[in-house]
Amino acid sequence: MKRWRWAVGRASGLRVRLLLAFTLLGLTTTAVVASGSYFQARRVILQQAQDAAVVSLTDQLSKVYPLRRLPPTQDELDSMAAILSDRDSSVVLHYHGMRTRGSQLPEPFTPELREVVRGGKVAWQRVSLKGQPVLLIGTQLMIDEPDGTSRPSGLEVYAVHSLIPEKQSIDQLATLAWMTGGLSLGLAVLLALLAAAGVLRPVRELGRAAHRLGQGDLRTRLVVRGTDELADVARTFNNTAQTLERQVGELRRMESDARRFVADVSHELRTPLAAMTAVTDVLDEEADGLPGDAGRAARLVSQETQNLVRLVDDLIEVSRFDSGTARLALDDVDVAAAVTATLRVRGWADQVRAELPPDVMARLDPRRLDVIVANLVGNAFRHGAVPVSLRLHAEPDWFTIEVTDQGPGLEPEVLPHVFERFYKADTARTRSEGSGLGLAVAWENARLHRYAGQPGSLVAGNAPAGGAVFRLRLPRVADPAGDGGVR
Amino acid sequence: MTGRNAARALLAGVLVLVAPLAAGCGIQPSEVITGSPARGGPSEGVGLYLIRNGTLTLVVRPAEEGVPPAEALRLLAAGPDAHEQDEGFTSEVPADALPASGVAASADRSRLSVTLSGPVTTLSATAVDQIVCTLDGAAVAAGSGQRFAAVTLSGPDGDLKPRFCPRY
Repeated sequence: MKRWRWAVGRASGLRVRLLLAFTLLGLTTTAVVASGSYFQARRVILQQAQDAAVVSLTDQLSKVYPLRRLPPTQDELDSMAAILSDRDSSVVLHYHGMRTRGSQLPEPFTPELREVVRGGKVAWQRVSLKGQPVLLIGTQLMIDEPDGTSRPSGLEVYAVHSLIPEKQSIDQLATLAWMTGGLSLGLAVLLALLAAAGVLRPVRELGRAAHRLGQGDLRTRLVVRGTDELADVARTFNNTAQTLERQVGELRRMESDARRFVADVSHELRTPLAAMTAVTDVLDEEADGLPGDAGRAARLVSQETQNLVRLVDDLIEVSRFDSGTARLALDDVDVAAAVTATLRVRGWADQVRAELPPDVMARLDPRRLDVIVANLVGNAFRHGAVPVSLRLHAEPDWFTIEVTDQGPGLEPEVLPHVFERFYKADTARTRSEGSGLGLAVAWENARLHRYAGQPGSLVAGNAPAGGAVFRLRLPRVADPAGDGGVR
Repeated sequence: MTGRNAARALLAGVLVLVAPLAAGCGIQPSEVITGSPARGGPSEGVGLYLIRNGTLTLVVRPAEEGVPPAEALRLLAAGPDAHEQDEGFTSEVPADALPASGVAASADRSRLSVTLSGPVTTLSATAVDQIVCTLDGAAVAAGSGQRFAAVTLSGPDGDLKPRFCPRY
């Protein structure tokens, strides 16, 4: 059924419809013109042939006059027939019961013809004799009186005139008409195809342009040809594309403005934060000495300042990714050593079960690897449950680091959003210990490492036994370009 | 559905257009076409009217120029010759219907009269027609009468009313 529908759709397509219309038009016109001229020519040919044959016979009749004997003897009848016969017509004479002797001709003379001939008129009729067209001409020999009147003699002359030459001419005409028809039909089909191509080409161009526009190429424009309806459509398409391009450009500009604003704000916050950090360091040292509420307040201020510092650092990092200015600082690194260092610096070395095969050398940005691993492990401690394990696995061109915790794992509806900025998996907890940017920054850092046109990856999932699994995959030798390339 | 209908319409159109072309090719038989009246020519000899299949029919006998009407009547009374009899010609004119006088014509040649030696009132209508037509034709040929002249027959037993040769 679907195939049939498709076939119907194709059959009623523009090309087929144009083809049908042109063909029908051509066929109608040709049929009318060709058949009209054919019938007219046939009528003229036949009329001329008939008139000539009749005139020729009646002219011949003077040869048998004067009539000397009625009823004629058989010999006289035969000799009269012989006189009147010529190359392309044979003559039979009748006189009441008598008939020309020895004539090979059958009696094709119709009763209607004889009736008219007996009435004293010249008459003729086309009949088919043995499959061949013949003209029958009949007349009666009249006897003229000196006073101008005439009496019927009873002698009837019938001539059988062959129409084969005329048939041949007419058949030629028919052949010509059929050939003309066929030729014009072919011409109609050709014209239809041309017209269809003329209409379909802009339509197809329009379709392609719309497809490109849909693919995101907003600079797509059509060449406007002529002033017809299709040109109008092309113009409308161009206007639409232009408006779309302008609006999208506007939106992008606004977005980049917003990002620049965030970057600027982050930078501006850095200096006061450095000062605040120095103050809170002092407060931290003194906090134990402070009594009650004052000590708690000092520790709170210190904690929140540290969070703020991390948030601002992450914001600066993210805005670098967004503006495409993030660059890799590549170095040859022993991955196991780098990871161990990260864990030790954060004070997690004892809490993480690390499987770190030695001698996995990689050329990458060690600071970014540190950021990623710290984020993943820190995240596992914050949201999952101990024990947290870390597994390094090396491949020829890539290596993977899996960070697994023993917590409840990630909800299925959370999974797709884990790496979004400020995404809160637990909506009840409005205040996160993290900046809310950690995983996003880790994800961007992973993607920044590219090898053979393929970016590094960071995916989140759940282990079969429960617990979240984050799998980092980085190239052993990252491309030095390190162009942001994410956006 | 539209496609199928369109295809059907197209087929029908093509058939309607092409069918008469295919059927009407070549030379078709015609009805009888009637032309001008048949042409005539002169005859030499004497024309007599005999009976064939009950109808008045002209026969022509070879003769020298200028057979007078009375002579034609004599030939008519003699009846059909052997050849004519073979062809089925008969005559109802009795052998004694011979002209007793010459044939008289009026000045304007519209009236002819003749006296026969035999009785005229007992002649059959066909015999009268034979005589009237033969006489009329002979008079026209001789230049003394006109076609379809009124002919008066007289005899020892009286006169007949003027008669015309029936048109046939």
